[in-house]
Amino acid sequence: MYEDGWIPTICYQCKAECAILARVENGVVKEVKGNPRGRGKVCVKGMAGITSLYSSERLKFPMKRVGERGSGNFERITWDEAMEIMETKLTELRDRGEAHKFTYSMFPHSVTDPKWRFVNACGGFISTGLPHCDSGKIMAMIHTFGCFPNHHIAPMYNTVPKGGLMILSGRHPFGCLDDACVPKHILDAKDRGAKLIVIDPLYRTEASKADWWIPIKPGGDASLFLGVCNYLLENDLHNVPFCDKWVREGDMDNLKAYIKDKTPEAMSKICEVPATDIVKLAKMVAEAPSACIDAFKSIMYGNAMDWGHAWTIFLVITGNLDNPGGQPLPDIAPMAPVEPVPPAPDLAELGYHRTGKDREKFDNYNFFLQPTWYAAQAIKEDALKVFIATECNPAMSEMGSNEWRKAVTMKNEDGSYKLELLVVTEIMPSETMKWADLVLPDQTNYERWELLYMPWWYNFAHGAALCQPVVKPIGESRHANSVFIDLGKRMFPEYFAFKDDVEYYDIELAGVGMSVKKLQENGGLWSPGAAGFRKYEDNGKFNTPSGKIELQWQMYKDAGQEWPSPELPLEYRRGEEEFPFILVNFRTIFLNNTGAWSQNNAQLRDPISGLDANPCLINPIDAKKLGLEEGDMVTMESSTGKIEIPIKLTEKIIPGCAGIIHGFGHTMGKVASRGNWSSDNELIADAGSTLDEQDMRGGEAHVSTRVKIYK
Amino acid sequence: MRQLSIMVDLDRCIGCKTCIVACRNHHGLIDHENDQPGQMANYIRVESKTEGVFPNLKEDSWVVMCQHCKKTPCAKACEYDAITKDEQTGIVLFDQEKCTGCGECIEKCPYHVIQFNKVDNYAHKCNMCYERVTHGLDPICVDVCLTEALSFGEKEILLMQAEAKGKQVIKKMSTQSIIYVKTP
Ligand code: SF4
Ligand code: SF4
Ligand code: SF4
Ligand code: SF4
Repeated sequence: MYEDGWIPTICYQCKAECAILARVENGVVKEVKGNPRGRGKVCVKGMAGITSLYSSERLKFPMKRVGERGSGNFERITWDEAMEIMETKLTELRDRGEAHKFTYSMFPHSVTDPKWRFVNACGGFISTGLPHCDSGKIMAMIHTFGCFPNHHIAPMYNTVPKGGLMILSGRHPFGCLDDACVPKHILDAKDRGAKLIVIDPLYRTEASKADWWIPIKPGGDASLFLGVCNYLLENDLHNVPFCDKWVREGDMDNLKAYIKDKTPEAMSKICEVPATDIVKLAKMVAEAPSACIDAFKSIMYGNAMDWGHAWTIFLVITGNLDNPGGQPLPDIAPMAPVEPVPPAPDLAELGYHRTGKDREKFDNYNFFLQPTWYAAQAIKEDALKVFIATECNPAMSEMGSNEWRKAVTMKNEDGSYKLELLVVTEIMPSETMKWADLVLPDQTNYERWELLYMPWWYNFAHGAALCQPVVKPIGESRHANSVFIDLGKRMFPEYFAFKDDVEYYDIELAGVGMSVKKLQENGGLWSPGAAGFRKYEDNGKFNTPSGKIELQWQMYKDAGQEWPSPELPLEYRRGEEEFPFILVNFRTIFLNNTGAWSQNNAQLRDPISGLDANPCLINPIDAKKLGLEEGDMVTMESSTGKIEIPIKLTEKIIPGCAGIIHGFGHTMGKVASRGNWSSDNELIADAGSTLDEQDMRGGEAHVSTRVKIYK
Repeated sequence: MRQLSIMVDLDRCIGCKTCIVACRNHHGLIDHENDQPGQMANYIRVESKTEGVFPNLKEDSWVVMCQHCKKTPCAKACEYDAITKDEQTGIVLFDQEKCTGCGECIEKCPYHVIQFNKVDNYAHKCNMCYERVTHGLDPICVDVCLTEALSFGEKEILLMQAEAKGKQVIKKMSTQSIIYVKTP
């Protein structure tokens, strides 16, 4: 079944999942490039995917823990034993009426990912990285204009017209993550005469290519854009016909009343962007044919929902919804359901955040997934008993990951672990695996089947793509999807009556008149390509309860949060004396965060072709004040943790901030554990134990952290 | 003069290193199973320069590969005639058969691009993807560049294209066959 030649499949070095071609020669992958039928590009991580596939570090057979959790000692077992262990524990959990105490932390590759189906059949919940990436953004868009939930919801840069504004507010799209074609699309738009504006405490490659870099105090985005909206509304520079037609009656008047005192001068005091610059930005927006914003790191702060809310207000009053160069409202490919579909349990009643002692605090929690960041807390509260993890690394990626690691080793009086079973599927050793009871060797994208039609794609899911195996799998590795289909067949045969993953995808693809075979014969993609503009005009309404755009969030009336607060995140407003620096943790194109497969990839940690250093970046002005010099080893300390790290002086960071890259500090894997680098999450407080600081509406957990630096 | 060239557009290069890994994969410069960081050869590298003081900053990124020099200081250093400038293309080629592994060329290269294979004892470097370009294909780095910052062709034609786009050649970066351009 494996052929030589350029074979279409999908990259999974990061969650963008770009369409690629792999060149196979004598059954070995030799080269990779972008699939020209897709967006045609592959980034450095994608190119290095072959190294992940063939690395000597690949996990090759199932293993069971011997010794205590965290000791990292395992013995080889058979797949049968592994299945037996999972089936026994999950059955026991269900029989004692605690099926909801099972969570599967994963990255679903489609809304009908077979693993998700398994979890629903079990009566458990999935948890994903969304609640610490951009659930604030997702919830804001759902509340205001009923946009289909979508991970990145990036603007489509290929649609930005001449003169259009591309505003990046705490977002580094040259690091890909949406699609490897995005850097090219942004630069092409600039060549067409679009303008690039970068708002960021860090000067990075995006800023170096920008028409205007606006350094900002972290967390100041909400206030900056409220100042812009104030200027637009006070000067009647907003899109009146659009607002008249589409905004719910009364909301515009209430908005104007609310925003009256959010003047550029007042907002400047919060975000520390000069008022003249706020006015200049507002005037540019008023004159531009389109404006879009993308934000990512900035929407992980403690005011995520406020910033998200201000952002949606900006889009609405400027009429930049689903227009070329504006904010797309994504669509999803109409796949056929695989009947009977197992019903999902009720999150608002049974989620682990709703069954523990903090349940009242979650009264305003609206996000549709379990808050991943509450997992450590849930274990302590006996609300979480079985944890399975695929394509994620919670032992490192959780805020305050130390709390997570502590929680998974907590024991009952009889000496048994509070968390009864911890399973990890991985392709390489990961930090999380160290704590697992069962380690299942997973397959890379070059060895597995997967059907992708997630709405977070850069093409907004109006299409589907096939990941197909191009070479024989390594060792006894099995793809997690097929493992959980098989476990599903053992436990819930009624919901898993199809033959295998391929047949499952075939049934779904029938919804668009396709099949796995037809996709294979047609470049691996079904891609009508039309994004479709102003779909709300065709529908005559928005997907909100009123059918109109809802600027005023009436559901939060009792919480006093009908309108966005311009304030900085709570964590930045206190403790300034003891912890004078704001931690700015960021990402790069070279590494997919804490993901073992990129951190443990020799080409991506090679200093020439990747990145092998993670010093603390500070401005020379701050270094001088502290008496620090380039290369000095310092301690970075927050209220909950500390790390030792060398200093790097750079003009590229705003004074008052300390920057480090997210994702370093591994102790597992020969490559990943190179050097004495540290994880930012050692400094960030466990979100589950700092609930007073969390915005409990959108489900976002906050990375906002203050630190002190000393020798 | 026949001279094939690569033009690097500093307006577009973002220093993403995609080209480095693609070149390495294509030319088999890596043992995916065992190689560790710092051990792999590379025919192309990224450089960058930041100027100014916060908040008035400027930064450029670009790539450096063999510049396929006019006067080939590397060839002059080689006593074994292992290095030649191909007449048909202007590409500077290393002949692995003739190379004795003496290493004399390495220090003479002003661009520090020559790699040395310790296992099989020979010097090697970018050959402008000779096997591809002589069959009508672009070099790999040009083909895969994430931002289309690289273009390939005959040197004079590339210079003409740069001028038409209002880009200036940055002579101080190279006066050889890799052309660096930027909008002034
Ligand atoms: S952005 Fe890069 S790593 Fe991510 S899927 Fe695309 S090519 Fe792969
Ligand atoms: S760049 Fe170095 S290796 Fe290339 S031709 Fe010039 S001297 Fe020789
Ligand atoms: S021209 Fe070919 S050999 Fe030279 S750097 Fe580019 S890809 Fe590598
Ligand atoms: S791939 Fe292109 S943009 Fe990236 S470093 Fe190479 S030349 Fe520059």
